[in-house]
Amino acid sequence: MPDQERLNQIDSPATVLILTPELPIPEHLVGEVQSKLAYVDEDIQAARVAGTGDRIELHLRQPIPQERLDEVSGKVQRVVVSMAKGAIQPKVQLLEDHLKRPVPFNADPHPELIARGELSQEAEGIYAFGPLLSRLMEFFESQFISLADSFDAAPYRFPSLIPAGYLERVGYFSSFPHSLTFATHLREDLEVIDQFAHSAACEAGELNVPLESFAPVQSLLSPAVCYHLYFALADQPLPNGQAVATAVGNCFRYESINLTSLERLWNFTMREVIFVGTKDFVLQSRETARQRMERAFASVGLAYRVESANDPFFIGEFRKQAAFQSAFQLKFEIRARLPFKNSTLAVGSYNYHQDFFGRHLNIALPDGSPAHTGCVAFGLERMAYAFLAQYGLDPAAWPPPVQEAFQ
Amino acid sequence: MNDDQAAPLIQRLQALLATALQVPAEAVNESLSFGDLPQWDSMGHMEVMIALEAEFGVEINADTITALTSIPAISDYLKGNQHA
Repeated sequence: MPDQERLNQIDSPATVLILTPELPIPEHLVGEVQSKLAYVDEDIQAARVAGTGDRIELHLRQPIPQERLDEVSGKVQRVVVSMAKGAIQPKVQLLEDHLKRPVPFNADPHPELIARGELSQEAEGIYAFGPLLSRLMEFFESQFISLADSFDAAPYRFPSLIPAGYLERVGYFSSFPHSLTFATHLREDLEVIDQFAHSAACEAGELNVPLESFAPVQSLLSPAVCYHLYFALADQPLPNGQAVATAVGNCFRYESINLTSLERLWNFTMREVIFVGTKDFVLQSRETARQRMERAFASVGLAYRVESANDPFFIGEFRKQAAFQSAFQLKFEIRARLPFKNSTLAVGSYNYHQDFFGRHLNIALPDGSPAHTGCVAFGLERMAYAFLAQYGLDPAAWPPPVQEAFQ
Repeated sequence: MNDDQAAPLIQRLQALLATALQVPAEAVNESLSFGDLPQWDSMGHMEVMIALEAEFGVEINADTITALTSIPAISDYLKGNQHA
């Protein structure tokens, strides 16, 4: 057992498993690998890539026999090899750097929000928001709506559910299987429904209902807003050759043990401005949106930077898709500073999908070629959280435009 | 390099792409570009890059990923970098 030790078995009911990865994990992949370890095994309670990417610490929910330790170790190594073997160094591009913009606060606002009743946790990754956070989210959303208005974007409203067939058509199942959230209902069967009505109960937060009581999954909870627009435009020529739309929606991405505080929510809200048209139109619109938001973020004193990024593809596609996305500079994240932990948090992104949706969904430009798409997306909860992390909960310390909005 | 010398390389590339993209050889013409076939999408492109790395020792990086998006571009790159 050269690469594996069991520690803390006496002092703690949890078991810590230390692994040496088969391949060193490059620095640029540490966060990505660490987040994927959450999905390796249900007995993993916490996971950390430590050292210089040459050490993995797994905290297990309970002591498990050697056979299971070997199984967990094997799965961890599979993740590491899949992501690190032949890793392609991403091309990092910094479009804006306002991280050093002075901000007056330096503590995690989360405990104070809980103490004040402004935030209540319903379950992991699921929160209810009080008046302060709600009004802050409304304020920031108004900024994003102003951006949408500057493009004369057409308003849309989309459902929280999305048909499974839609996500299948754009390859979502192979790219992001780990974060899917499924919706179902009881089978249309009187006995099943009667049985549920009489005996359904929650045990340790889990519903004690046999899986066979549920109907096959036809829909999921939607992971993004813009997909709904692309499906609305599918299989027809694009009217007027281009479109700009905006919508706000509930989005759902399951992040397992990574669901911590307001940084990672299972259920969150995104306001998007969506562009469909030629490559030049989409890229120019994305850049114009970034420039306009740079002025908006300056007015509210946000400390942040905009840098190239990639989506959290699952391990099977990660290496290839992330490299492709990075090389073509398809995604830029707005990363707000979290002073209390000296790190950043993605509060939004500027995205270009090339003609991926145009080809897969048969959205045609007037010349018959597939339409290009892009979107700018802002997470409202993260935006409010990052702002409070920089300015605190006392409105007197907030920049004037935010104060004025609260008067 | 004249056209006669170039022809075998183009044919090698056509065969390489057909394998990487898992399409019939006749689907890969001499001027095929990224996006011309449904199979030559982002994932398909990275399969092409991996095949070029294995066959010609092409380094996969942001520059090559964005530049090598057609058979003529790949051919020119290989000749220019003495991989062919």
